[in-house]
Formats: sequence, C-alpha cells, structure tokens
Amino acid sequence: MALPLPPGLTPPEVAFLCEMELVTVVPRQRLEGLELLGGTTPELRPPYRAVLPLWLALLLKRQRRANILPPPWLHPSSLDTILRLETEVHKETFSPPPLFPPSNNNLHETRSAPFLPSCTADAAADALPYHWLEVGEILLDAAPDDLVEPDTVRRLMRDLREVRMAKMRAGVAVLDGGAVVGLKGVGGMEVSEGRAFISGVIDNLRKIGASREQSRREREAEERENGYDDADEDEDMGL
Amino acid sequence: MDIDDILADIDGGSGGSLATEDLQALTRAWVNEKGSPEILTYPSELIERVMDRIRKQIETIEMQTGDMDPKMNFRLVILQTELERFKYLIRSFLRVRLAKIDKHALHILTNSEVKARLSASEIQYLTAHQALLHSHYRASFLAQFPPNLQRLDDTAGGISMVEHPDLDQVIFCRVLHDVADPITIEGTDTADVWLKRGDIFVVRWRHVADAVTKGEVELI
Repeated sequence: MALPLPPGLTPPEVAFLCEMELVTVVPRQRLEGLELLGGTTPELRPPYRAVLPLWLALLLKRQRRANILPPPWLHPSSLDTILRLETEVHKETFSPPPLFPPSNNNLHETRSAPFLPSCTADAAADALPYHWLEVGEILLDAAPDDLVEPDTVRRLMRDLREVRMAKMRAGVAVLDGGAVVGLKGVGGMEVSEGRAFISGVIDNLRKIGASREQSRREREAEERENGYDDADEDEDMGL
Repeated sequence: MDIDDILADIDGGSGGSLATEDLQALTRAWVNEKGSPEILTYPSELIERVMDRIRKQIETIEMQTGDMDPKMNFRLVILQTELERFKYLIRSFLRVRLAKIDKHALHILTNSEVKARLSASEIQYLTAHQALLHSHYRASFLAQFPPNLQRLDDTAGGISMVEHPDLDQVIFCRVLHDVADPITIEGTDTADVWLKRGDIFVVRWRHVADAVTKGEVELI
C-alpha cells in the first residue's frame, strides 16, 4: 500500500522523530546494556547518569525505573531568557539555535537533529533546539515531577510558542514565487504546521508568475549573448 | 572512576558504532524521501544491513520469549518496542516510495536515469502493476476508442499525458555543509543565496537536489 500523505512530515511523524532525541536519565534500577538495533545502550547503574533515546527514557520513566534529567533550556530561568531574546533582541527572526557541532568533513557522517545531544543535561541553556516544542510537551506530559516548576515552564512554553507563531505568520507577507526563505532557528513542529501553507503560497505564486519568469529568463539569456538588446516581452507565453 | 570518566565511556560506547550510524542514515533517507517531489536513489546496502539486523533481533526475541524471568521480560519489552520503531521506519520509507512510483509511473518507466534509482523489487512492482493497469484499461474502455486516442502517453496539443514530478516545488531543508556555489534563481528578483552550515531554507527542490544527493543538504 502506498502512502496517501502530503509531502513532508505530519505532526505524529515529527513526534516519532523527536522520540529519537537523546536525553539524560538518572536510573533507579540496574539494567545491563542492551543490544538494540540502533546501537548498544549504556549500562544503567544508579545513581550514575546515562544518555538514552527519549522513547526508552519514557518507557523507563513510566515504570518508575528512572528519572529524566530535563535539558538546561527547559528550566524556567532559561526559558525566560530565551523569551526575552525572542521578543526584545531578535524581533523579526527566531532566536539563534544551538551551535551546530564543527564539521568533520565527512559528508555522510554529519549528525543533525534528532541525533545531536541538544536535549541532554549537557545541552546549551540559552538556545532552543530543533525539537524544543515536542520534547518540552512530552516531558511536561510524562515527567512533570522531574521538571523545575512545571507550571511556570508550561506557561513560558506557551508564551514562546505564541511569539514564534506570530513571527511565522508575519513572514508570510514576504512570500513570493521566486523566493528563497531563510528560517534559521525554526522548530520541527513549526515546520510541520507551516509547511502546507508556505509551500502552497510559494508554489501557486510561482505557477501564476511562471510565464513572466520564463520570458524574463529568456530575455536575460539573450541579453547575455548579444549585449543589451531590448527584446519584446511576451507575457502570455506558455499559458 | 569519577562521573566524567563514566560519561566519556558512555559517549564512546553509544556514538560512532555502525548500527547507530545506520539508524541516522535511515532516518535521514526517510525524511528526505518524504520531503522531495521526485524519487531518490534506493539505499540498497543500508536497507540490507538494517533488514539483516531486524531478522537477527526477531530471532533473539523469539528465543528469549520462553524465559519466565520478570527481569528478562522487561528487557524483551524494550527490544520489541525498538523493533517496532525500526519496522515502522522501513515501512513508511518504502510506502512513500511506492506512492511516488504509482504517481509518476510512466515518467519513471521512460526515463532510464530515474529508473536506475529504484530497487529490483520496486522495478518489478512498477512493470507488473503498469502491465495490469494497462490491460485493464484496454479491456474496459480503451479498446472502444478510435485507435489514435488509445495511447496513455499522448503529447498531442502540447500537453503531455505523462505526469512528471514538479522539480520546482519548494521544500524545507537544512544545510549540513557549506555549499560552494550560491543558488541563483534566474528570472526572478531573488539575490544569490549562499547555503551555510546550520541554516534552514525554503527553496525550490531543483536547486538543492544535487546537494541532497551529495549529503551537503538534508530535507526536514
């Protein structure tokens, strides 16, 4: 059976992807390393911390076998700082994402979200990682007792989300058929939400302007060939 | 041994192993395939390695299921949860490819460069499915049409019946490595755009397709 879904990831698929993010746990029980398909898990020995994928951490948390150590950016004071960055410093764009690790020049080995340690206890405190919204919501839902002031965190997350949604909406005004739009710092769920609208607008505007773009391209090619020759523009070409 | 040693030990253990790299590669292939308007090259070696591991893991689970030890049971729950996640990843990847194969069937069949991106079983599916469809169309209505209207790949009137993927469709992508040449979109007012590591862009697929194949850019 083929997949009757629109291009891009749907919200449940983004959540699935987000569950591969690495988080830090403090185990409450011993568990030897397991040979999983995605690599061997570290041995769990209380009270030593270990880094596990989120789905496994959630499983352990649900059975009260471990506590999740929230990433530093999910702390009320960090969220407050980031919210101030979003509203006062970077008024037009998203606040800068965490630093991308240095390139190791091997094209096929570069890690990106969700395999960066951007949600572990060692993550940066002053930047929202790619899956900030999903990780935040999941942890608020599954492990509120591990967070510092979960209610404040929830409120700040909501504020951040609204500020960033407003920016996403404001960005719609500049869309046009030939645009290359930079969205540095955007989150996974935000892409998933905005994808249908943004790509729909750009694609349709491009189709409307296709003939003009085509004739302009031809004229420019002609101009390059024989200096500046004012060729007649045929607006209706291709329609 | 203090905590830093243990953390370093853990980092060394979980990162860089082939299994972890394969998971990353498969995830990236899945997301790329979901985002791109045209079908991408089938990563046959990667899928083979992953399927092999899945087979072995199923065997392990089957062997250990008889064990009644509760501790063992919990480990099996973890193994099975992960197995399901992998199976979902592979299934979703193959299904999104099938959707594209169905949609652009004639385009792929007539274009050897695109056809080469398919796996052997995908090509088999494509040809068998198209043959079935064609004989069905012929039996149910095409045979009653005048001969000059019977073709399914007609290009009369300047409009092709074959549906091609829209290479100008915009996609969302993340730059993994600086790309040497800037993107120029001819015929528009857009200035040249340089792709720098860590940036996220909404851009036409045509302009980043090569970079995605090379691994310099990934879709999101």
